[in-house]
This record gives sequence, C-alpha cells and structure tokens, in this order.
Amino acid sequence: MVAGSTEDPSLLTSEIQSDHEPREALFVKRTIRSGQNVQYPGHVTIVGDVNPGAEVVASGDIIIWGKLRGTVHAGAQGDDTAMVCALLLEPTQLRIGNHIARSPEGGERDSNIPEIAHVDKRGIVVEPWNMIKQ
Amino acid sequence: MTARVITITSGKGGVGKTTGVANLGVSLALEGKRVVVLDADIGLRNLDVVMGLENRIVYDIVDVVEGNCRLQQALIRDKRVPQLYLLPAAQTRDKTAVSPDQMVDLCQELRHDRDIVLIDSPAGIEQGFRNAIAGADETVIITTPDVAAVRDADRIIGLIEAAEKGTPKLIVNRIKPKMVRRGDMLSTEDVIEILAIELLGVIPEDEKIIVSTNKGVPVTLDGQSRSGLAFRNIAKRILGEDVPFMIIDQEPSLLDRAMRLVGRR
Repeated sequence: MVAGSTEDPSLLTSEIQSDHEPREALFVKRTIRSGQNVQYPGHVTIVGDVNPGAEVVASGDIIIWGKLRGTVHAGAQGDDTAMVCALLLEPTQLRIGNHIARSPEGGERDSNIPEIAHVDKRGIVVEPWNMIKQ
Repeated sequence: MTARVITITSGKGGVGKTTGVANLGVSLALEGKRVVVLDADIGLRNLDVVMGLENRIVYDIVDVVEGNCRLQQALIRDKRVPQLYLLPAAQTRDKTAVSPDQMVDLCQELRHDRDIVLIDSPAGIEQGFRNAIAGADETVIITTPDVAAVRDADRIIGLIEAAEKGTPKLIVNRIKPKMVRRGDMLSTEDVIEILAIELLGVIPEDEKIIVSTNKGVPVTLDGQSRSGLAFRNIAKRILGEDVPFMIIDQEPSLLDRAMRLVGRR
C-alpha cells in the first residue's frame, strides 16, 4: 500500500478507511462446518469453506475465500447495500438485508468462477465476479 | 507400552460404526496387535451381537466403572483371533451411568499392555458421544455416501475439533461403484470435498456384511470378501503402513469370480 514516492509523508501514514459503515471486520481462517455459526456486527471474511448446515451472519459484507454451501445473511440489521461473495457461491440460502434467495433447484451449476451477490431493484442478483464493473 | 485409543463415530446412526469397530478389531488383531474393542453405546449395545459374543457377557462397562468387578473380569476374549477382547456396554442402563471423567480413567486402565483400544461410539451428539471421545487419542469418522450422513459427519467433525481431539480421519462405507458411475451416488471424492479430512479407506457395499453381522462372524474373518479386504487395508493404514487404495470402481470380473471358485485367488 506504500507508494514509491515519499514526497508527501501523510500518504505513508494515512489509513485506508472503509467506504461505508460498519468498519469493523472479523477474519476467520478455517472451515465452518454443519452446526457451527459465525455472527459478527461488522464485515466477515472467511478463508475456508462454509459447509451445508453452517450459518454466517454479519451486519456488513461477507467474503468467503472458499466454497459457500451453507446459509449466509449479510446486512443482517437491514442493510440492503451489503454483498456476499465466494469462490464458489452455492448457498443453501442467501439473505441480504431483508431479501431472501435460494440457490436454483437442480443443484449443479457449471459455475467454477467466483461470484458476487448483491441487491438491486430486481432483488438479490448473482453475477460472476469478472462481470462486475465498479 | 501403552495403547492408542481410537474412537469410531459418525453422528448419524446405521452407517456402520459397530460393524466397522468389529471388523477393524479383528483386522488389527490379525496384524498381531493386542486389541480391546469397547462398546460405549450403553443401553443399546450391539457390538457383542455383531461379534457373536453376546452369550458370554457376565459383567459390563458399568460394572467396571461402579466397581462391581475388576476390569479383567469384564473383558471377553474373542477366541477366533489372538489377543482380541471385548468390553461390552450395559444394556439395562443409559448413557448417564458413566461420566466422561470415568471414561478417561477407564481408557487409561485399558491402555496397559495393549496396542489398540477401539471405542464404538453411539449415534448422536449427546452424552454418549461425549463419553466415547473423552478418552480418545484419535478419532475416525465413518459415513455412507449420502447427504444426510455426510451432513452429520461434518457436524461431528466440528464437535471433535472443538473438543480439541484433533482432526478425525475418514472411512466411507457402502460405496456402490455402479451407482457412482451413473452419477446416482456421491463418490468418495464428493464426500472428501465437503468434509476435507484425510481418507483412511473406502468399504464397498457388500451383502456378505449383512450375513456376517447376523451370524456374529465379522466379515474380515472369512478372508474372501472385498469388504473384508478393505477393512484389513484400513487396519494396516491405522498401523502406519502405506497401503494403496483398492480400486473400488470395478466389480470383480467373471474371471476373478471363476478363479476364486477354483480357489486360486
């Protein structure tokens, strides 16, 4: 995060702030198994899989560097701007703010690319990570 | 010389814990190890039936814990193999008859002059399960390739890790190669993909298991069946031998069967 130039010392020390509330985040480096749950009043990052029967609830965003097959709820205190992303996004149920979505019936999608779920005027939409244009 | 205490558990019932303990007990004894199999399913004891030792029970685990008899008196020797003993569960009591601390003490006592203590866990996640893992050094999860059993196995792995018993190893039981090939059954790879733990072995579906269970003669004793061979291989892996995994994917060919009939294989 450090630029090559050191002309402006404030650049070196300034923190990178989250764009929106909440600013706190929880980092979990393990597999979340059936019956286990992660709840946090902020963003949650999980490095590992979230297995079927597991639950992750966050008031902010949920980022899963692994396979998401359990249930997640981002923006759990009603924040529809929250998002969920995972290397493999196949949740049992996915909630964002006050919206609920299930994975399409018939299981196997041939999606091996990371995806991101967010809310727009249609409700919860899931898009491939590389299609997102910020 | 002190034994390794290994608990076999699953979460879900009916996936093969008891059959697994009986056959691994026999297999390990056939490898020359001094083995005790312990039935921790108090109130629903089965291991004695599967091993064909039911009619020799005088004392059980609760008698030992309550001091009604000495440990040696309760141990039943399986005469078909050298150095295999059964400590039966009580049938007229329930899981609360023994506490986790008492199980730890009992396991310590069983360790002396033995190589392996195998514990048959009850299904479920309650006290019976807690008792079964209390004294364990290692745990083995057995599951069948169906989503319910795998889900429960996943839950149990979480509980075992939370109890600081390390990461269990996995046995996948009752694989039907034809169904896997058709895509109608989870494959071993599918199961491992979810559970993400080390595979100890795969047992193919085998009608002989049902016959042997009903007769009280563990299938490993007959030395012919594929399931028996799979158990023998798992026992060797438990002992640290590097045994290649059986190719479950193919049914025995006609030639194999013919050769077996003539007694060449």
